[in-house]
Amino acid sequence: MALNATQTAPTLTPAPRAGQRPALIQIRNLKKSFAGGRVQALSGIHLDIADGEFVCVVGPSGCGKSTLLRILAGLDDYDSGQVTLGGTPVTGPSRDVGVVFQQANLLPWLTVRENVALPLRVGGGRREGADDVDRLLDVAGLKDFGGRYPYELSGGMQQRAGICRALVRNPRILLMDEPFGALDALTRERMNLELQRIWQATGKTVLLITHSISEAIFLADRVIVMSARPGRVLRDLAVNIPRPRSNDTIISHPDYPALAKDIRGLLTGQGEE
Amino acid sequence: MSKPDITLAVADAAVTDASVESTPSTAHRRSKEPVNGTLIAAVGLVVLFGGWALAVRYLNIPSYILPSPTAVWKALWSGLAVSPTDPLGYYLPLWGTLKNAAIGLAAGGGLGLVLGSLMAESRTIEKLLMPYAFALQSLPKVAIAPLVVIWFGFGDGSKIAIAGLLAFFPILINSFTGLRAVEPEKIDLMRSLSASRLETYRIVKLPSAAPYIFAGLDMAVVYALLGTIVAEFLGAQQGMGVVITQAQAVTDVAGVFAALVILGAFGILLHGIVRGLEQRIVHWGRGRK
Repeated sequence: MALNATQTAPTLTPAPRAGQRPALIQIRNLKKSFAGGRVQALSGIHLDIADGEFVCVVGPSGCGKSTLLRILAGLDDYDSGQVTLGGTPVTGPSRDVGVVFQQANLLPWLTVRENVALPLRVGGGRREGADDVDRLLDVAGLKDFGGRYPYELSGGMQQRAGICRALVRNPRILLMDEPFGALDALTRERMNLELQRIWQATGKTVLLITHSISEAIFLADRVIVMSARPGRVLRDLAVNIPRPRSNDTIISHPDYPALAKDIRGLLTGQGEE
Repeated sequence: MSKPDITLAVADAAVTDASVESTPSTAHRRSKEPVNGTLIAAVGLVVLFGGWALAVRYLNIPSYILPSPTAVWKALWSGLAVSPTDPLGYYLPLWGTLKNAAIGLAAGGGLGLVLGSLMAESRTIEKLLMPYAFALQSLPKVAIAPLVVIWFGFGDGSKIAIAGLLAFFPILINSFTGLRAVEPEKIDLMRSLSASRLETYRIVKLPSAAPYIFAGLDMAVVYALLGTIVAEFLGAQQGMGVVITQAQAVTDVAGVFAALVILGAFGILLHGIVRGLEQRIVHWGRGRK
């Protein structure tokens, strides 16, 4: 991990909520490039995410939002800047972070229960506070499918198992990389509703990457709009729509059309540039 | 020159997939026009044997060139309808050949899996061993057999060594290829869980490479049998290779044919066993997208 955290702290304005709650995730002037510096993926990201907050990141394809998530997950290193989780600089994968991947990324040779229990088997074994696998399966509506193999499940069920797996170590932070992108629209809405319920029940801090504007508004306390490559934070929009939100009521909320219009404008404006 | 092996193995795996996928369409076609596959095969067999018998009889082919099917059947029966301990029967030589091929397969295949895994895990070991693997693979390995006989003698040792040498490469190359072909997302998953290298290997890489390894095993089984027979040709006390050379020495061509029939039957049987094992172990493959 080349953590050249030599850059001085930025003078840019902190995120609006940072003052109210202590920031669990702190990103300062984060830069990352690929291909030996020729392709700049992230050019100076500033972002604070408070404990228990649900943040969605939207942006045009290739804007580096997946790279941002991979850096937070400790899967990729970065060129410069500071990334801290709970005050500790990120130097690799952390037990306090659960990752939900694009597609469900389950292991086809393990049953659903074995997949969900995988994080308890590897990387140093069981630790205190680990959630009970069967309780999680129950919460996710997979109680009767623990003994099945992933290919016997629908796409939505597979991704619910993927979320259970990310939660089983009881991490403080959940990082989700377009988790529902491969699902049909109706399943996606149902998954959003369930994710909201799980989030409200567990109080995790969630960073979710999505292409869908409606998904971002439905789920997020804050929507971060990123620019086209090289990625930086274009706008940080608070979503003050009361919870629990439902798929029916959210679009009739007075804030919804303006928010959707703002995000769309920012994204398409980027596309035209 | 080990490239062909890779493509072979992959092609083999692809064929497996294709055949699995094509099953419903075959069934569909069968329901449309009632053509019985078993019947066609039976008719083909009858035509083959009938043609063979007629050709031998009416074209005056001498029996030391091509014996008649009945002569082959008689030779086969005389080798089979004896006590299992009869030294003139097939059972003792067959047991000797299969035992040596199996030991060679286990040793060579096991070493192939270990070295293939080490090469897949470490670029240094890959760089170190790959040139030798390529060089040895390019060599017609049967040509080494006389040398191996000098080293290991005319006993079981040389048979096991040559069987092992031939079984080694398909497993080495296929396990290496399969272990390198693991989806990066699955590696990312294990990394995000701070899994150890051994855990990632055991839980993700090895099962993921299993279809490749089985394709290699399928080839290795046949190669091990081939290696054992070749070693037996060069000199042995017992074995199917000896049965063939002894029959050849007295121009008992029907006896040679009978031994080949036995070996062919066992080749098919072993292939079936490997396929059955694969379907049992790689059980998730059926429902894979």
